[in-house]
Amino acid sequence: MKLGKRLAGLAMLALTLGFAGQAVAAEPIKIGVYLPLTGQNAFGGQLELEGIQLAHKQMPTVLDRPIELVVVDNKSDKVEAANAVKRLTERDKVVALIGTYGSSLAMAGAEITEKAKIPGVGTSCTNPLVTMGKKYYFRACFIDPYQGAAAATYAFENLGFKKAAVLMDMTNDYAVGLANFFSRSFKKLGGEVVANLKYSSGDQDFTAQITELIAKKPDIVFMPAYFAEGAIIMKQARELGATFRLMGADAMDNPDTVKLAGKASEGFLHTTFPYDPTMPTMSGEAKKFTDAWKAAYPEKDTNVNGALGYNSYFMIYDAIKRAGSADPEAITKALAATKDLVTPLGTVSVNATHDAEMPVGIIEYKDGKRVYVGEVTPKQ
Amino acid sequence: MRLNFTTLANILLILLVGGALWLVERHGLIGDYQIYIVKLIFINAILALSLNLIYGFTGLFSLGHAGFMAIGAYVGALCTLLPEQKEMMWILDPIIWPFSVLHTPFWVAVLAGGVVAMLFAFVIAVPVLRLGDDYLGIATLGFAEIIRVFIVNMSSITNGSLGIKGIPAEATLLTCYAWMIVTLIVLARLLFGNFGNVLRCIRDNEIAANVMGINVFNYKVLSFCLGAFFAGVGGALLGSHLSTIDPKMFNFLLTFNVLMFVVAGGLGSLTGSLLGAGIITVLLEWLRAIEEPMDFGLFEIPGIPGMRMVVFSLILLLIILFRREGIMGTRELTWKSLRRLGRKKA
Repeated sequence: MKLGKRLAGLAMLALTLGFAGQAVAAEPIKIGVYLPLTGQNAFGGQLELEGIQLAHKQMPTVLDRPIELVVVDNKSDKVEAANAVKRLTERDKVVALIGTYGSSLAMAGAEITEKAKIPGVGTSCTNPLVTMGKKYYFRACFIDPYQGAAAATYAFENLGFKKAAVLMDMTNDYAVGLANFFSRSFKKLGGEVVANLKYSSGDQDFTAQITELIAKKPDIVFMPAYFAEGAIIMKQARELGATFRLMGADAMDNPDTVKLAGKASEGFLHTTFPYDPTMPTMSGEAKKFTDAWKAAYPEKDTNVNGALGYNSYFMIYDAIKRAGSADPEAITKALAATKDLVTPLGTVSVNATHDAEMPVGIIEYKDGKRVYVGEVTPKQ
Repeated sequence: MRLNFTTLANILLILLVGGALWLVERHGLIGDYQIYIVKLIFINAILALSLNLIYGFTGLFSLGHAGFMAIGAYVGALCTLLPEQKEMMWILDPIIWPFSVLHTPFWVAVLAGGVVAMLFAFVIAVPVLRLGDDYLGIATLGFAEIIRVFIVNMSSITNGSLGIKGIPAEATLLTCYAWMIVTLIVLARLLFGNFGNVLRCIRDNEIAANVMGINVFNYKVLSFCLGAFFAGVGGALLGSHLSTIDPKMFNFLLTFNVLMFVVAGGLGSLTGSLLGAGIITVLLEWLRAIEEPMDFGLFEIPGIPGMRMVVFSLILLLIILFRREGIMGTRELTWKSLRRLGRKKA
């Protein structure tokens, strides 16, 4: 025990000295990070923080000045998120901000950055309201309507399905947004939505909904669930003898999906961000990210949340470099002008509503393995 | 109202603090971050006071506070949002008339939030208040969840689970302070008169109260509705303070937060509620320092997220272990007690 403690102390000392040695005379550029590191959404927040820290390790300096990350926990709570952002902008004087997982948290943060005139980049807040009417808030992800439309396009055009149904979690803004815009796009493309069924977060039994779905005979059921619930739906659909295809969205993009659903995952489809370790052709940036990830976190699989965290940092880094200054106004301008930035998640451009525009990836489960089948750009 | 020393001193103190806050806000004497936290303290104090009336003074174990706050927040938001904003934000289902054109000044919105919350409280009070103790807690908890489910499903009024953002930030430091003072005065005038004695009597021994000829049920409903009114006011202020609300934030954890202020401050003490709300709100922010990487010169500790809550929980635990009745117990801080304290020392 004692030896261990001493060793730990020595390691700490070495670390401090190491940092001290690294310290450059130039004043650091401070970038704030607010994420749910504890509470309900801690899972997603941790993954994204890993991605941000990885990016920071890869790109530690810009304009010959070191970048310093100031990480603050928002406890998955809206009031805390607002306090955290206020603290970062006021007390820590950050020039830009990254965060957060969870759209409702980002909405609270975005109000504050807007007043403080500090640019913020959301990691995975996909609710369209987050950046609506905001000059200083951006995001590294696409929004729910965009992904919903992409899913509809893939189902209608690529798979040729004409009858779809929707099964959504009413209490989740993410699911509600996706499902609604899937239905809208699918109808616009000429398809028919035969059923629109609901459940609540935490439900375990979906047999009633699935039985009704079977009776309505859709070709495909779109269910933008989180992977734990999604896996149960897959299993119960299989048990009840459903023949329709099931399709999810990026929240199903988790290594555990197959583990939980087992054989029932066969033929399951979901949309996601255009990155996957199984991609047949990986861009240079994506490869760089994958290798760096494996070196930094050997015991963990790469994942989309990590990549989004990485990308958020990358977007700010790129903006500071292009702006040639760490002034918040200049960074904001540069962020809005982000065009064809080559990232692990494909080429990213920021559009008029401050969302990252990139193609939507499609993943299919074949023989118990995830396969990246391609990309789709939504029509409508 | 007799104009004696106490009243004069109270009015003077209220005006003095109000004037100081006005100066601070106008001239930016303290940072925005600090102002933000002070506003939060005032709002939390309103919530704590209102729950203290229901639980601490009347003994009704109500866990429906988040529900009343949600009603207040949504009514307040619907009243203050501009019609154009509503049209833009309701992307699932368009907002229905008359909510689409509703637009009122802020004080009307806050008042309306309180009144609507009170109406809901009245409707559920009649069946629910026949229950006692834990059963009441369960029933009111259920009520709060029902409210949340309603908000999620009525997307043509509430925008469903997408929530609302861009609520005009009209809850300034002074507004929050004013509403807290109103709450405090109303409750103090009520509770330190005969009405308060009746409520305490009901809390301590309901049968005795009944025997004395008190209409227990009426008083309970009155207390419950009044508490709900101020919870609604607090909710409306919170919505404007954050400028965004969604159904998920009004889950039962919010109720427990308010309950924490009340219990830590002291059940049955208005001063306790103010202190509880103030201390806990400040402590939670102040403890963030623990999660930052610390540099002790020789060695450095990387920040551990969640440490703050560990320390915070320990502090709460210590309060409950060593002062089971809360910081103030059922005592109040008054001019009289201050004078007595001064005399004792002298």
